Amino acid sequence: MALGSMRQKRKTFTPPRLMITSLMDMFTIILIFLLFSFSDNPETITLDANLDLPRSEAKLDHEECIRLVFTRDSLKLEDEVIATVQEGHIVGLDPKNLKNSELYKKLRKIYEDSTTNAAPSMNIEEAVAEDDTAATRDLNIPDKKKPLLFLCDKQHTFKSINQVIKTAGMAGFPNFQFAVLKK
Amino acid sequence: MACFSRVRRNREMDDEINMVPIMNMFMVLIPFLLMSASFFHIKAINTSVPVLAEGSQEDHAEKQISVTVVVKLRIDGINTSSLSNDLSKKELADLEGDFSFDAGNEKAYAAFSEHLMKVKKRYPKSDTLIIIPAEDIIYDTIIQTMDVARKTDEDTLFPNVVLSASLG
Repeated sequence: MALGSMRQKRKTFTPPRLMITSLMDMFTIILIFLLFSFSDNPETITLDANLDLPRSEAKLDHEECIRLVFTRDSLKLEDEVIATVQEGHIVGLDPKNLKNSELYKKLRKIYEDSTTNAAPSMNIEEAVAEDDTAATRDLNIPDKKKPLLFLCDKQHTFKSINQVIKTAGMAGFPNFQFAVLKK
Repeated sequence: MACFSRVRRNREMDDEINMVPIMNMFMVLIPFLLMSASFFHIKAINTSVPVLAEGSQEDHAEKQISVTVVVKLRIDGINTSSLSNDLSKKELADLEGDFSFDAGNEKAYAAFSEHLMKVKKRYPKSDTLIIIPAEDIIYDTIIQTMDVARKTDEDTLFPNVVLSASLG
């Protein structure tokens, strides 16, 4: 009796079929979305949570460069925190003595490392010692050097930004790329 | 009768499209696209701090007049003036402009853009613009001004933007 009913069950058994229509719909939507956000040059930069970049109509792609990140609460060179920011003021960056700052020292080191093979045409230290504001003018800086990619929060004032870019200029990086988000 | 229904059922099953290869393709495409997807696009604006040019640029055979536009960015508006070794004070004074934000930022930027177009049209060789923001100007405003100064919808205006602090 039991064997008979089992045989009957086996006969009537039909393999379960998955309803893949909804799965296909989902995949199609995902595929379209991903096709729209496809980029042949995907971003390798991760944006800090405390960094809100301004939007711009610029179309230029950024080059391989040294990243200087100025968030709402810190100043970072690549991924290393150099200084903290309190109410828009950079702690440890004295506007009257920029070359004593950690930022200047780190950038100088990068600059010197990148130009060890190139003969310097002028003593930069002398120019810097002479006058801070004139320091960036008289330097003969090789062009074939990585520029600085400056990622700055859009709410920072020029007062703070100027201290950073002036220090970078004094350290041998007068050319910048300002990072912006595509409009 | 039961035999006929089984044949019909088999035929119906054969008529269904085999979705398995399509699903396989999706399973390959989606991880690939996920890896190359970019959810934000970072672009760059080239700029520099002031540097002293080394060589003299006055040796060109055909000497075309170029001006350097100086843009003072204040919290209440934009002031423009121009610098050139080839123009008189009166000619340079004609190139001055003041655009107040009182009537709205959009209007001020539109008038500013129009003024820059006029300067560029008169002196097409000009390509440098110096922005001197006040200390309390935020970065977003500087970028907006740079956008307007660099180009309009059709034309390139002043692609070399230099950011400088006020010396005064």
